[in-house]
Amino acid sequence: MSLSAIHLYEGFIGVFLLIWLALTVSCQFETHRITQFIRAFDVLNLIPLWTFFAPNPGKQDYHLLYRDKEQGDTVGDWIEVDLHEERHLLSCFWNPDKRDKKVLSDVVQDLITMLQAGAGQTDKTFLVLTLPYLTILKAVCTRERNRPQAACRQFMLAGSHGFNSGKDPDFILLSLFHPL
Amino acid sequence: MSIQPVYLLILALLSVGLLISSLEYIVKINVFAPDGLLSWNVMQLRWGYRLRQGWLGAVLQRLFAKSGLTALFSLRVVCLVLALAVPAGSGVQWFFLGLVTGSLLLTTVITFYGSDGSDQMATIILITFFLCWTPFATPGLLQMGIWFIALQACLSYCIAGVAKLISAEWRGGTAVYDIFSTKSYGARWASDALKNRPWLQMLLCWSVILAETLFPLALVLPWPFALIFLCWGFLFHLLNAVIMGLNSFFWAFLATYPAILFANHQLTALF
Repeated sequence: MSLSAIHLYEGFIGVFLLIWLALTVSCQFETHRITQFIRAFDVLNLIPLWTFFAPNPGKQDYHLLYRDKEQGDTVGDWIEVDLHEERHLLSCFWNPDKRDKKVLSDVVQDLITMLQAGAGQTDKTFLVLTLPYLTILKAVCTRERNRPQAACRQFMLAGSHGFNSGKDPDFILLSLFHPL
Repeated sequence: MSIQPVYLLILALLSVGLLISSLEYIVKINVFAPDGLLSWNVMQLRWGYRLRQGWLGAVLQRLFAKSGLTALFSLRVVCLVLALAVPAGSGVQWFFLGLVTGSLLLTTVITFYGSDGSDQMATIILITFFLCWTPFATPGLLQMGIWFIALQACLSYCIAGVAKLISAEWRGGTAVYDIFSTKSYGARWASDALKNRPWLQMLLCWSVILAETLFPLALVLPWPFALIFLCWGFLFHLLNAVIMGLNSFFWAFLATYPAILFANHQLTALF
């Protein structure tokens, strides 16, 4: 590589890194229109959001439950999908279970954002064709039937308030019944 | 201060985290199974028509199946080990780093749910390495890369601190207790320890707000004082790993500290 080409490359990389840094700074305000515009092009998630647990710290544990319905409208009990890992001392080094939990947490957050965006609408069926709804539906519908004659399945999302809270869990979403 | 050892130290720290995270993905590969939460059958809906059709659609269908992703994560592990084993700054190392970077970018196509800040920091560092730690790198290019990593790290802490400063829950001292009380990011013993101690809750919240917001001072303060921020960061990430299970953040953010040390050394030498 010639010296001039190396200098040209160096200049190009310098400008590229500066732009990357500037975009990172400008995209920390999630609700801003420019941020949303830039993030729409960031398909590989290269512009981070560094606001970790702020301004609204995650104070809820999410719960995913499902139940089956038979042809004769007999509905089974709710079954909870176990999504919380039991951590032990070794988890600070090796913690594979955190992945499922983070996925569900992200999916639910996405769904809540969509619910809030459609807050004025009484009919929530617009959610049925969204990615987070389909993600949960797919994961729930591929689980074993808990009633042999089950024809359709429904899921529910709820949020509880932690170890030391006496508060009842919050209801987040009840899906439609979907054929199995 | 020589710059090559700084690159090597960053790579070594980052590699530990990436090895753990890749092996964790291999262990949890069922999350990508057809009945898993990240099944490609559903995840592909996020992408345009082109990614789902034709030869590209067929390739991605195979790549993002359980076996394809197991191979991809395994390749990443092998390439990371080889990148550490071959001579630093060589073309061979650049090639392996390119493969690791490529594998990270490829997996973001399917892990947009579930990836976190540590994955992003790892990707930022590796792309910077691939662009700047080339076999034909000049001292200027090498310094540019280190400065970029140091600035991204300081920016990440500072923005996290400012976001907490504008939050009533963080300022009011309840945020840490609320987070530690969840099953997802807390622990019963930590929640119990904070339960009837509002002064401790307040102390923890404000220590995080202040240390994160002021973290960029680590770049400009004379060395023993700058070290205070890095020691705080080490303890902060260690506690987050123990209490919150955020093990990958420890390695990804610790990997940026040699860059901060280098930038601090250069900057303080000017005055």
